[in-house]
Amino acid sequence: MNMHTLNNNRPHYLNPYFGGVLLGLLVLLTVFITGRGLGASGAVKSAVVTTAEVVNQDQAKANAYMGKFISDDISPMNNWLVFETFGLFLGGLLSGILFGRLKKPRVEHSPGISRKTRLIFALLGGALFGIGSQFGRGCTSGAALSGSATFSFGGVIVMLTIFGSAYVFAWFARKLWI
Amino acid sequence: MNRNYIFLTLLMLVLAAGTWLLKKPSEFKQIKPNDLLWEMIQPTRYVTTDQVAKMIIQKDPSLELIDVRSANEYNEFTLPNAIHIALDSILNSANTMYFGIKGMNVVFISNDDIKSDQAWVISKRLGYKSMYVMKGGLNRWYETILDPQQPPETAPKTDFEMYAFRKGAQLYFTGAQVETTSTQKKDKLTIQRKRKASVASGGC
Amino acid sequence: MGPLIPNGFIPGDWNFVIALLLGIAFGFILEASGFSSSRNIVGVFYGYNFVVLRVFFTAVIVAMVGLIYFDYFGWLDLSQIFILPTYLAPMITGGVIMGLGFILGGFCPGTSFTAIAIGKMDGLVFTIGLYLGIFAFSLGYPLYSDFYNSGDMGNVTLMDVTGISSQWFAFGFVVIALSAFWVTMLIEKRVRKRITEYKF
Repeated sequence: MNMHTLNNNRPHYLNPYFGGVLLGLLVLLTVFITGRGLGASGAVKSAVVTTAEVVNQDQAKANAYMGKFISDDISPMNNWLVFETFGLFLGGLLSGILFGRLKKPRVEHSPGISRKTRLIFALLGGALFGIGSQFGRGCTSGAALSGSATFSFGGVIVMLTIFGSAYVFAWFARKLWI
Repeated sequence: MNRNYIFLTLLMLVLAAGTWLLKKPSEFKQIKPNDLLWEMIQPTRYVTTDQVAKMIIQKDPSLELIDVRSANEYNEFTLPNAIHIALDSILNSANTMYFGIKGMNVVFISNDDIKSDQAWVISKRLGYKSMYVMKGGLNRWYETILDPQQPPETAPKTDFEMYAFRKGAQLYFTGAQVETTSTQKKDKLTIQRKRKASVASGGC
Repeated sequence: MGPLIPNGFIPGDWNFVIALLLGIAFGFILEASGFSSSRNIVGVFYGYNFVVLRVFFTAVIVAMVGLIYFDYFGWLDLSQIFILPTYLAPMITGGVIMGLGFILGGFCPGTSFTAIAIGKMDGLVFTIGLYLGIFAFSLGYPLYSDFYNSGDMGNVTLMDVTGISSQWFAFGFVVIALSAFWVTMLIEKRVRKRITEYKF
């Protein structure tokens, strides 16, 4: 009975292996055209640097980390990854419309926790991911996916540590999800 | 459903195993020994000091001089615009970038022929084209360009023409060089390299 | 001939148009595979939904094997593509921090953008967190700049580090991934019998 409703409510996702093959071919195409892989967190970094520069240019330049990404003639937003990430958003939107998943704003959470808890942990998780992606020179798409696919040693290290440590932490965080 | 997945699993395994069959022949690209020997005995792999002098004077953009002597010798004296690549580091990827550029003629120079011949053989075995050796090296350069001897009275006319050229070249390389060293140093920066993939900063 | 843009086959002006198009394809694939839902994503860690593992590893092995074929046919010069540089200790640290962020936040940066696109507020909050995290990292950078730059091994590949050929690595990854697919298919069936309230 339960199984039945479950299947009826199931949204139409691609077959994961089909999606994977498409994603793999996309990585291949990206490397073929641009010589580098996909990415996502780099755009957020550009946004951070840009806002810091707008708010207080001198301080942003003086910052040892952000200063590396500021140049006088080109805005940090004028960056390959920023355009790619904008496309990423549009592509998600397109798929959401096509498969009927675009709905009014909502929070998805496990029935075991409140909306507020979910949002707090999303914020915390995002912040950790932000810090980690700077140490790891990329996130799951840039380092783990594109890095591993191009046989980069560091990419494989990042992939193994992300998934490995997430499995370890999963036990402690189980209340959040199941 | 499961049958399709079994098929896909096998397909992926075959594709992955297939990569072994296509062991790249170019993984260690070498020319055939016979071709190498044949090319080695061709006199056309040498250029004379006069030809090099003429190309330098005419500022021939296709000339790429590579000095394979030690760094000390290079700093002491070398030809204008020569790039220094020590013989033992000639296989570094940063150095092989200078070879095989379309439209460029690489000329190896050393004190005599020995080191430059070795450099020529190494680069030739890697399959690069348009590689040359300056015959006689810098010793011959000194004898012929920097300190040319007047031919005897009985010598044919062509010898005198060559002597005239060498005298002119001598002026160019000894007299004129003093004023132009600064510009020549600047020229060094424009030396052509093969394009390397830009390693952009900032990951994902 | 490839990569096309660095080798001048496509003029640099097209760079950003191509970035946008590739991004759209990327976002579409992520969303259509179900990565816009954090509960789908973390399912891989609790055994009830292995979509992340399937999509991710299929993509990696397809791209790996594809790169070898591309290189063989001379379409792509592997020496010219960008290899992510390796900073051993910082990368391990970063990976562990990201792993913790992954299990708490339920997204990774790319998937959180697609979640925003279909109206998930948790995705938006995750991205705000991402922004704050990077900002905090920048502010504290002088404290750990030495560590951040330590262990630099350069742009090394697996082949450079181990001396084993890329064919072996590709084949090894394929075998591991394919066995993982079959094993997880069984695990998923078992776990789903026990979990009833989860509705994708």
